[in-house]
Amino acid sequence: MADDILFDLLHSEIINYTLRNVDDNEKDKNSDKKDEDLSNLEYIGFSTGYRIIERLTREMPRFKDELDTLKFICTDFWSAIYKKQIDNLRTNHQGVYVLQDNAFRFLNRLSNGKQYLEVAPRYVAFTCGIIRGSLANLNVHCLVTADIQSLPSCKFHIQVQRV
Amino acid sequence: MAVCAAIVGKDNSPKFFCCINPDEELTFQYKVLSSLDIIEEKLNPASKSASEMRELYLGQLYSLETCKIYGYVTNTKIKFIIVVDSTNMALRDNEIRSMFRKIHSEYADMVSNPFYIPGEPITSKSFDSSIKNIITGTV
Amino acid sequence: MRSSVSYILSTSTTEPNMSHPDYEQISHDHAALLILVKHIGSQLRPKTFTKFYDRIAKLNQVKITDSSGQVRTIFVRYIKEHPVENNDWGDFQTHRRLIGLVSLGKYDSQTELNEVCRVHESLKVKYNATLYDSRSILFGPTKDVDSPVTDKSSGSDCSETKQESNIEKYTTPSNFKTRALFYDETSACVDLENQIVEFINSLFWVLESKRLERSREKLERVSLLFAPFEKKDFVGLDMESRQNKKRCTGRMTKHLGDLCLQAGLVSESIQYYTNAAETLKSVNDWLWLGAAYEGLSTASALVLYPNMQRSEGFQRFGSLPEGSPKKANQEPASSTPTTKKPIANLLNPDDISKRYREAIIHYSKYQNAGIVETEASFKAARIAVEQNHALQAASFLQNVVYINLALSEQEKIQRFETLAHLYTQIGFNRKAAFCLRLAATRYVSPQNPNPNWNKCYSLMLQSLSGHKLILDPIEMLEADQGWPTLQIQILQDLIVAAKRANHSALATRHMTFLLQTMWSHLNQTEQKELAIQLQSLSVQCEGSPVPLVLESGIVVPPANLTDIPVCLGFVLKDLKPHLRPRLIEQEKEDMGPFLFTPIHFGSLDRNKDKGDPKMEFLWVENEACEVSLKLSNPLSFELKVSNMRLLTSGVVFESAPETVTLPPDMVTSLSLTGWARESGELEITGYSTHALGVKSNCRLKYMTNHFPPQFKVDVIPSLPILQVSTSLPQSASFSNFHDDSIVTSAGLSLYHGESAQCVITLTNTSDIPIEMLEVTVNSILEPQLQNEIFQVDLEQVSLILPLQPEQTASFDVKIFASANFLAPNSAVSPSIPQDLNSGMFSSLSTSLPGNSSFSRHNSSFRSSNSGQSSLAGGLTALFQQPLSTAAVEAQLKIRYSGGAGLQSGHCRTSTVFFNVELMPSLHITNWDVLPAEKNTQFYLVLDIANLTTQEMELEYTASKHMLIEGQESCRVPVPVDRCPLSKLSDFYEEADQSKHLTDINRICSEHISELVKLKWLLNATDSKGVASLKGINLNTRMLDMVRMSPLEWEVKINGDKFNAQEDLSCDAGDCMELQMSIANSLETALKELTLSIQFYQDYNNGTLNYRMDTRLAISGASKKILSSLEPKNAANHRCNVVFFAPGLYKLDIQCYTPDGGSTNTAPLVSTGHVWRFTPPISIQVK
Repeated sequence: MADDILFDLLHSEIINYTLRNVDDNEKDKNSDKKDEDLSNLEYIGFSTGYRIIERLTREMPRFKDELDTLKFICTDFWSAIYKKQIDNLRTNHQGVYVLQDNAFRFLNRLSNGKQYLEVAPRYVAFTCGIIRGSLANLNVHCLVTADIQSLPSCKFHIQVQRV
Repeated sequence: MAVCAAIVGKDNSPKFFCCINPDEELTFQYKVLSSLDIIEEKLNPASKSASEMRELYLGQLYSLETCKIYGYVTNTKIKFIIVVDSTNMALRDNEIRSMFRKIHSEYADMVSNPFYIPGEPITSKSFDSSIKNIITGTV
Repeated sequence: MRSSVSYILSTSTTEPNMSHPDYEQISHDHAALLILVKHIGSQLRPKTFTKFYDRIAKLNQVKITDSSGQVRTIFVRYIKEHPVENNDWGDFQTHRRLIGLVSLGKYDSQTELNEVCRVHESLKVKYNATLYDSRSILFGPTKDVDSPVTDKSSGSDCSETKQESNIEKYTTPSNFKTRALFYDETSACVDLENQIVEFINSLFWVLESKRLERSREKLERVSLLFAPFEKKDFVGLDMESRQNKKRCTGRMTKHLGDLCLQAGLVSESIQYYTNAAETLKSVNDWLWLGAAYEGLSTASALVLYPNMQRSEGFQRFGSLPEGSPKKANQEPASSTPTTKKPIANLLNPDDISKRYREAIIHYSKYQNAGIVETEASFKAARIAVEQNHALQAASFLQNVVYINLALSEQEKIQRFETLAHLYTQIGFNRKAAFCLRLAATRYVSPQNPNPNWNKCYSLMLQSLSGHKLILDPIEMLEADQGWPTLQIQILQDLIVAAKRANHSALATRHMTFLLQTMWSHLNQTEQKELAIQLQSLSVQCEGSPVPLVLESGIVVPPANLTDIPVCLGFVLKDLKPHLRPRLIEQEKEDMGPFLFTPIHFGSLDRNKDKGDPKMEFLWVENEACEVSLKLSNPLSFELKVSNMRLLTSGVVFESAPETVTLPPDMVTSLSLTGWARESGELEITGYSTHALGVKSNCRLKYMTNHFPPQFKVDVIPSLPILQVSTSLPQSASFSNFHDDSIVTSAGLSLYHGESAQCVITLTNTSDIPIEMLEVTVNSILEPQLQNEIFQVDLEQVSLILPLQPEQTASFDVKIFASANFLAPNSAVSPSIPQDLNSGMFSSLSTSLPGNSSFSRHNSSFRSSNSGQSSLAGGLTALFQQPLSTAAVEAQLKIRYSGGAGLQSGHCRTSTVFFNVELMPSLHITNWDVLPAEKNTQFYLVLDIANLTTQEMELEYTASKHMLIEGQESCRVPVPVDRCPLSKLSDFYEEADQSKHLTDINRICSEHISELVKLKWLLNATDSKGVASLKGINLNTRMLDMVRMSPLEWEVKINGDKFNAQEDLSCDAGDCMELQMSIANSLETALKELTLSIQFYQDYNNGTLNYRMDTRLAISGASKKILSSLEPKNAANHRCNVVFFAPGLYKLDIQCYTPDGGSTNTAPLVSTGHVWRFTPPISIQVK
């Protein structure tokens, strides 16, 4: 159990750390507090995803297509990182995928329902980055956004960028 | 065992190249470079073979009088290429395959190394010696 | 693909092989009639031949109706050369036989015609064994008459000649048994196609008859067909054996298949081939089995891909993108076979390749069939290309290289070129490049009897794209892909080829390219070696940044060595401060409290970093502008860079070439100069160099150190230049002023009160007249003081304009060492009453230069004299201090302009820096006011200290001189006229509280300083000056003394008017009559005046005795109160006095207003004021 919680704690500390740094930098600019700058966090995720995917796909057969790749993200990939699979995958077959996790690991311990909803985006930014980084290394270039209606459920929207 | 191993990036530029006999490096580079044509063809989703082959190991790419060239492409489109001397009949397909798997595993470790930026040429000395060990069969 | 039992069935090559491989063959050629189109004689121009050949070659498919009414499609293949040995394989594969001959020749005379005919006949003899028929196309001389083309009925006789009527009649020789076609080469030759079709028809019928003949033969009786090398294998064999019978049958069946295919009977041929394959397989006749399989495949391919065509030439050069370009080309035509009805045994696409593969394997068993195998591989590959099966094609092509053939170098080259071509078609660009390189090296291999470096070079060049080498270094560096190690080698090979092919310019260009693009991939030794190589290459042909166009039309873009040397800094220099153009209008100096605010500076810098390439300064037309560079030599040897110039766009710019020698690994600075020849915006985009023998245009945007792509600077029209000099020596100390437009300086030392003159000389050194000139003095002094010290003769200045070129003018600046001579001093000399000093110094030093307002600017003002406290230390302290001098710094700004620059509103500023050292001359350490002998005057008693070390001659009044030793002081009385009432009248007016006592003080002080001029002369240095008493402060007592009394006194004693100079004496007991009148000389009335007289005795020890009751008696009132004294009125008083005892008595007559009187009075008339009659009258009583 301890090793599981270690990742969670490290993750939340990273959030605290990056946000504090952002705060320090932004202080003089007196910017709006509402939109937190999560790009650093997202980038950390991107870099992590880009690197970890090499390891996670090592034993996988070659992906047939994009959908195949996304299925991998939902199952093996998600299990490896979040200890469970994505609960629902939907796509319009035109490069938009919606991944729904009903009990997202990083939100699970926060609350049930609307409390802390405001700060919840902090806890998904890293994951958005991980998805984007992983897919980028698998040659699927995309935008990843997250949508949280009620904790601890979370939807990740993946929009593939066609060249 | 094998005489040469190469890692080629997504953009088909060399990321790592090692040769048991350094004098042959240039010749092998030409051979490995030419084999990229075949790898690309094999990965081409339009061609029939690609959809059937889901294994990362591509098998023998082509053989020359002096050597045989084998390929392996990761899901991230990183190409591993091994050159084996033609006279070496002892080496079976399965051994080549496991060689590639070892290389892949080394590579995955390399990518996790914070000092390595994915996409850059690999300069790590320990990586170099690991790969040499793998292809010479010392591991 | 190779058979593992290679060559087992072949004997050594004693038999001649089919020695000339035809790499261009495609499988469809199996069905074609082979016709040689031959160019005969030298009269016909090759161009004409090619034109006609192309026309003929278009007729490659002809529909012929056979005897049964069936329409057959006959394919024709035209070739220009055909080695006769190739016919040897005609039994093996009939399409290899040459069956038709068309010769093209030209003649102008009968002799020439005869010759052409003779050559044609000899060709017929040469190919006699296989030739069915021939035609000779003859171009004759043009007749003058232009008659229409006559009908041309095709004759049946072979020897019959056909002629166009406008051709001169010549007759072919009698032994010429060929149908000749006469044409005018300039005319349309409209029936040429018909003639050829007719010829093809004739060939077809011969073929058809042969086919029928063969097919009617009994299969059991046929003779054995041989491949050329097989003949001796069958010598002595029992031909009647079952095995051999079968072999004969099989081979013949296969042969019939060939004939059927050529005769347009595809489905029949497939049937024959299928049967033949079965038969031959059973007898292990591998070679012919292979041929049968190949025939089957080609026949099937003909059905499936009827539109497959020979691809022409190598027109592409790096035009195919990576990947497999063929992929999207077209859906293979396999889905639409032309024949509707299904053909039995027709192979499907996959089987075609499979059969071909088998055929090749079978061929490979025979060493002598190498060429057949090679050709089959190519044909199979082409089918695979048609099928979009790149891997398949690649494997066929790969097979080609294994086939060991004794080929000429030329054939080997062709083989590689063909391979390259096919690899390109399947998108294997790298492989194609590899083959091209092999071909290239073959052109110059030691085995090649005629090495051709030119060809080698051109192939090498073609191979570049496969290695991701782009000839344009800019694109190349942007793309940054490929295998550097190989790229370096390929480039080096290319350079060698270019050099050997005598393309020195190209060799230099490629070497430049190599250094420019591969620099980061080369190690230091390589960098050095290649640089040296480049140097030696460029000796033969200098590199210059222009595109090179090859004969083939390929353009080799320029390569510039942008980073040899490396540019580390590129900074446009502002003009020297005094030459900088400034706007005439906006000369607002920043007078804010902060001269330099760090925030402002920072933000400026950041702006610069953002790469705004627009300079904030201006350059001037026709004036040298400078760009400073920091260059570093990346090579390990000394690098000479010559002819460095700036590259610009925008206004016309002339750059001066620079040459610099850079030591290795060291940063060298240098500046490039140039002149803008017109005004406007100038863009500087880089610089050109000439290094290692290569001229390069080094653009900033392509350099590795990221500079903005260009720097922009505005150039304004020409301005004049002024040279400024002064008559004074240059100042030793230099200025701390920030303005650095200083062109010269003037330094001088003056004693306080001394003055000097400086002549400023202006010379117009430009060729533009100066039409505007402004002179101002700037300093941090208070303006008033500054004007006192520096006086510019502005009138003189205004007379200078206009100052023509090469002319000189001058004006004067007067410098006066203004100072405060009143030394603050608390020391009291015994003779001056203490009360005089009270509080007078606090305000004194404020106007001393270097005070208050200066203390802020301590840094720019070297003064040791600024502390007030130290000055308060007294005279002794004053002398003890080091001789305190102060320096005054000021700038004389000369703004001038003229010509076009003036029109555009610009000017220049030259500044003369003045450093004036002010040395103390004298100080007035104390002063007092004493009554003078005359009522209209008073004595100003001054303690004057000579602060110099020299003897000073002081002229304190017009006639009085005094010598003061250095560092001594002395006291002088200066008679001064009292301050007239007219100056003070205001203060006696009606009550106006705003007029204050200090104002009176000021007015009196000014009065004194106006009148008192202390002229001094230092004998030793002959310097002289005037000390003023400006700022002298007076107390109330003094003020009374200084100013004229508002009351006019008149005192009469014993009826005589009293005169202060007189000694007054009387005897004790005498009665003395005092008569006095006071007149009011003010404009207002004085109220409640009290006049009093009082006697006292002065013991001259500071004691005054007013108790005079026992010593004298006054008759009459000693006090009189005047309620009001109107203006101009006088009041009189009289009394007598009797002295009882002798002695010296003094009489004090005074007039005062009472204490706490009316408040409604003017300041001077206010409460308790006392006016005295001065000096007191003294009476000696005997």
